[in-house]
Amino acid sequence: MPQKKVKFDVTDIENFAYDMKRCIKCAGCKWVEHTYMPGINFSMRCPSAQKFLFDTYGAYGRVRTALSMLEGKVNYSDKFLDVVYKCQMCGACDVGCKRNLDLEIQLALEAIRVKCVADGKGPLPAHRKVAEKIGKTNNRFGSPHANRAKWLPADVKPAAKADIVYFVGCAASYTHPEIAKSTARILKAAGTPFMLLPDEWCCGNPLYTTGMIDEAKRVAEHNIEAIKKTGASTVLVSCAEGYRMLKVDYPKMFKMSTSDLGFKVVHLVEYVDELVKKGALKLQNKLDMRLTYHDSCNLARLSEPWVYWEGTHEQWGCVNPPLERRRGTYGIYQQPRDILSAIPGLKLVEMIRIKENTLCCGAGGGVRDAFKDFALWTANERLKEVREIGVEAIVSACPYCKDNFAEAIKINGDEIKVYDISELVWQAISK
Amino acid sequence: MAISREAYRVLESIVGPEYISEDPVDRYAYRCGPGGYETDTGFGRFMTKIAGAIIMPKTTEEVQKIVKACNRYKVPYVPWSTGFFGPRSFPYVEDAIIVDLKRMDKLEIDDKHMYAIVEPGVIASQLQAEALKRGLYIVVGGGGSQVSIVANTLGDGWSPLSYKIGMIERRMLGMEWVLPDGEILRTGSLALQDDYFWGEGPGPDLRGICRGHNGVRGCLGITTRLALKLHPFQPEKLEPTGITPETGLALPPKRVKWINFTMPSKEAIVKAMYEMSKAEVGAAATKVPLFWRDIAKAQSKEDFWARWSKANEEIVKRFFVLRVLLVGYTSEEQMEYEERVLMDIVKELGGDARPTKPTDESWIKNADSAGMWLMTGAYMSVIYVWEALDHAKVQGENYAKLKAKYTPPLMPDYRDPGWFQLGEGGHQGYTEFLVYWDPDGPDEDTHKVDRYYIETMKDDIKNRSYPSLCGPQHPLYLSGPAYGPNYHIWMLKIKEELDPNKVCHPPVPLAQDKFVEQADWMKPVKDW
Repeated sequence: MPQKKVKFDVTDIENFAYDMKRCIKCAGCKWVEHTYMPGINFSMRCPSAQKFLFDTYGAYGRVRTALSMLEGKVNYSDKFLDVVYKCQMCGACDVGCKRNLDLEIQLALEAIRVKCVADGKGPLPAHRKVAEKIGKTNNRFGSPHANRAKWLPADVKPAAKADIVYFVGCAASYTHPEIAKSTARILKAAGTPFMLLPDEWCCGNPLYTTGMIDEAKRVAEHNIEAIKKTGASTVLVSCAEGYRMLKVDYPKMFKMSTSDLGFKVVHLVEYVDELVKKGALKLQNKLDMRLTYHDSCNLARLSEPWVYWEGTHEQWGCVNPPLERRRGTYGIYQQPRDILSAIPGLKLVEMIRIKENTLCCGAGGGVRDAFKDFALWTANERLKEVREIGVEAIVSACPYCKDNFAEAIKINGDEIKVYDISELVWQAISK
Repeated sequence: MAISREAYRVLESIVGPEYISEDPVDRYAYRCGPGGYETDTGFGRFMTKIAGAIIMPKTTEEVQKIVKACNRYKVPYVPWSTGFFGPRSFPYVEDAIIVDLKRMDKLEIDDKHMYAIVEPGVIASQLQAEALKRGLYIVVGGGGSQVSIVANTLGDGWSPLSYKIGMIERRMLGMEWVLPDGEILRTGSLALQDDYFWGEGPGPDLRGICRGHNGVRGCLGITTRLALKLHPFQPEKLEPTGITPETGLALPPKRVKWINFTMPSKEAIVKAMYEMSKAEVGAAATKVPLFWRDIAKAQSKEDFWARWSKANEEIVKRFFVLRVLLVGYTSEEQMEYEERVLMDIVKELGGDARPTKPTDESWIKNADSAGMWLMTGAYMSVIYVWEALDHAKVQGENYAKLKAKYTPPLMPDYRDPGWFQLGEGGHQGYTEFLVYWDPDGPDEDTHKVDRYYIETMKDDIKNRSYPSLCGPQHPLYLSGPAYGPNYHIWMLKIKEELDPNKVCHPPVPLAQDKFVEQADWMKPVKDW
């Protein structure tokens, strides 16, 4: 093939034309990896393909439809947007594809959404409403910006200057303050001074994942500048979406690498795991509980550091210079498991689809905003697995997973309890 | 849009509006290619058409009604399960409907009688996982773990594991089959009672025309359920380990083991395979080509090419690796015994056992067909031959010689003679010849690949080889007379009898004939 210049820039879908064209429709994006295939049940990891059945709703169908649009054979339509946006952008397809091939499917899907927005066709009205709220109040819920730090409990005093800044995120700030409180108390218990950003804005995940890259860049610029102003070397995040956004999508949008950000991004579970292993944090309280851990997509298979790349596609589709693909190998999988296993009395039972094979909770990629039924359907699919292994609770490391599971459980009248991992850690250390 | 409104409404009434679509977004999502098995060939580009609609039945009754409606309204239809068989899965005429069978995903296992009843939406790894839970197993065909077990069985499912338990198509028992005109035929014991346990009589046994190497694949209606014989495996669990992309099944060391041997020559490999068969040891045996090793070790496409570029004709010529699977089906002692026998055989032939990972990455549960696209982005197997082992050995060399004339555009492979394996308890050998090229190269490159494909078929005829994919992939009027001599006439008469309206995947079984006749660039090779 003739050399073609490409770069990891989602604002131009042509950068991923090769990846879309070379999809072989093996459906590795849909199925649980075959080595781990459990049998006839719980065998898929793509919620969209499982729910909507038509090939159109698998990554293999989406890329074919998008290519057809680029070729002028398919036009924008409600159906087209339905296909593009009924997807949690959970990364299952990307790691499934990269088990065998070197195709950038996740980036292609992101580029399709960015193109929809650039062409004035996307996102969906529900996403625009969220964007408007972020534009007006700097948070996705439209709550007063002034209330962002209202969660802060009286017993915790953030430092005026510290090496760690806690990026709280919209959900923990407004709708799940228990996560923010637990996180702050854990840091305090560990003797870790931390700051809050004086003016934290939404991380921009709802904007970026729905294709509104300009709006996402606006909030990202603000947050990056605010973080840099603090002088902190580390940003600690308790939300999986925020974690991935800061660590992966911020550098991606600005065409740099994670290592160029100028600060380190860590999730609470990474930090706690390190403290526990060093003996600096004692998980001493017994929690008699049999529970399972849900890998949040953004903390698990989508969390590897971003490395910006540009170069050429050459003969046989080789890239030059070579690059290390993000295959989901180095996601944050083990740390939360080690933490939970270290809590006395707590029995961690694994679900069937775990780590890179996890099934999304259903909330991501703007699905919960635009297709709540689908989001809850997906949560219910996951909860079937929870019931299958007979545990009393599910724990995750993302407020949006917690939220979506909690709502599905409430509707079903299930007895299953839902926790964020910060709550359990706090319960295990509190005096 | 030529599917009449009346026909569409009838079809819609069968499955409900949720399970039928003629929206262009859906129709183009089901387009052939541009990537995938054989889809980058001229055949894929020239022959395939966008479907007029996609319909998804849930039951045999719905399939029957769809087929009857298609006959009534003369709407061509194409059965579709997982759609991985490249252009062979797609319509060749305008306004055909794709009958997507993925909603038919029931799987039942009769543990006591050791068989599974599967519908077309069940894939190979699902069945294998369920079988392994019960101490049973089946061959996961080289088409991949992700393929429909029904389609792969009717087609040509085999793998190195076919040495011990044969080709999967031989394991078909009772079958439920919606004929091209909509009549339901139940074969084997199922014809007489609600029992799938037996494939041959007392009921009708028409498996020969619908399955395997020579059946008129994909144009004789729709198989909606079939039973497959499962085989006893060994009782210990094969534990999945690792994280993507380095995953594998951890093998219980005293019951299941792969061993790689370096051998002094290809003849020694063949001899070892024969001796294994005579001694009835081993569960699988295959000659590994060098590029498989490089694919397995490569961390990326670029890494593969860095490794492969260090190879040369001399290295390939001297690369003799035999890979054997041992299974202690009945006991640890059985495996110990088989291992001792195998070691004796290899030692006598001058081979050496190499350190081999105690895991299974491919064949028992996972068959990594998708990895075949890593190297260039385009892949197909031009030939599959089940013959005597000696024949398999020689035929690979013939193809390599021919292939050299077509390289480039084919990937430089230093005259690699393909791979072969032991099959059917040692009574047969199997060779497969894989080709790779750059699908983003100029059209003329692809045209050469198309011509090479036909030349290999002629080579088979010249060398009296026994091709496995005569039905669906050869020009019927090229291979038929050599095969039968009346093979092609029979095939066409069967088709005419069962599909009088020619609505099931037209123009199969003449699709390849049509391609060769109509594509300009094929004229130089059309000499029959």
